Amino acid sequence: MSLYQLQKLIYQVNRDRAARERYREDPAAFARDYELTDEERRAVLDLDIRALYTLGVHPLLLRPFTLLHRVSNDDYAKALAGLD
Amino acid sequence: MPIVFACAASHAPGITAWTEAAPREQAEKVLGAYRRLAALIEAAKPDALVAITVEHWANFFLDHMPAFCIGRAPHYEGPIEEWLRIPKTRVRGDVDLASTLIDACLEGGFDPSFSDELLLDHATMLPLHFLNRAMRLPLVPVILNTLTRPMPTPKRCLALGRLLGEVLESSRKRVALVATGGLSHWPGEAKHGKINVAFDRRFLETLTAGDRNRLADYSHEAIDREAGSGGHEIRTWIALAGAVPDRRAEVLAYEPVVPWATGCGIVAFSL
Repeated sequence: MSLYQLQKLIYQVNRDRAARERYREDPAAFARDYELTDEERRAVLDLDIRALYTLGVHPLLLRPFTLLHRVSNDDYAKALAGLD
Repeated sequence: MPIVFACAASHAPGITAWTEAAPREQAEKVLGAYRRLAALIEAAKPDALVAITVEHWANFFLDHMPAFCIGRAPHYEGPIEEWLRIPKTRVRGDVDLASTLIDACLEGGFDPSFSDELLLDHATMLPLHFLNRAMRLPLVPVILNTLTRPMPTPKRCLALGRLLGEVLESSRKRVALVATGGLSHWPGEAKHGKINVAFDRRFLETLTAGDRNRLADYSHEAIDREAGSGGHEIRTWIALAGAVPDRRAEVLAYEPVVPWATGCGIVAFSL
């Protein structure tokens, strides 16, 4: 369980322009700096919104992160459909 | 000089980022209320703006989450969000006023953290975009943790506001006080888009009724259940109400704007 590390990755990409550029250049390389489980690594690199949400990523980290990837409000809602 | 202006307003990012998604009439009511606030603030001729605000992982992370933080920086950068449709800009800080507030807190029974470098997200930048035209007024951000639990209690936020109000009323500067956040919303959650109109209206009634002590009765659990994770931001409103105990709250707008996923409230506190 490394939710802390997963959230830290997203936090850095959201807030820090230089980190964001490094992430955009090579997401997999960027993610190697964080101690993630295989599942967390896959979820973040695939931008699997439902998995990230279910893993416990804070919604106010997750939604801005998906906005950086131009995920619309409708598509975000669809990804979470049926969850609590 | 005293607090020459006080208001509280929602900061839903959709207000700027996807304005046109909202029904036109609702959007116009919210934007119109922001314009009224802008005119009132201009007329009050403040020297500085103190924002009782929150943040959304712009600075603090789970390695260090202060309950209260007062910004003491000479300038601030924001917004961090590329998608907000608010140009990135630099806002001057009021270092002297910030230092006065920090000292007064430490003397008065509060121990906020302080910071000489803060990024601003939509929580602060969206209201400033409307209310601090050309970013003329220097800023002091007072940040409350309403993001992740455990959070300071509403009772404690009210008490902090009372202290800040006492200090600001005896300040040499003419201060505009702005609270930002709320009302009910569940941002980024599966319930995103839900709004509890009954909760919002009761909260606004409690504000306009004037008895500030009733604001201390809000519990974390009740806010969480009825107003959502975003509803915790009403703590900024509660703190501001504590800072201006004798001023009448006037609701300039309340619109539950589903495409903005927020019960949008805008309230002025008359002198």
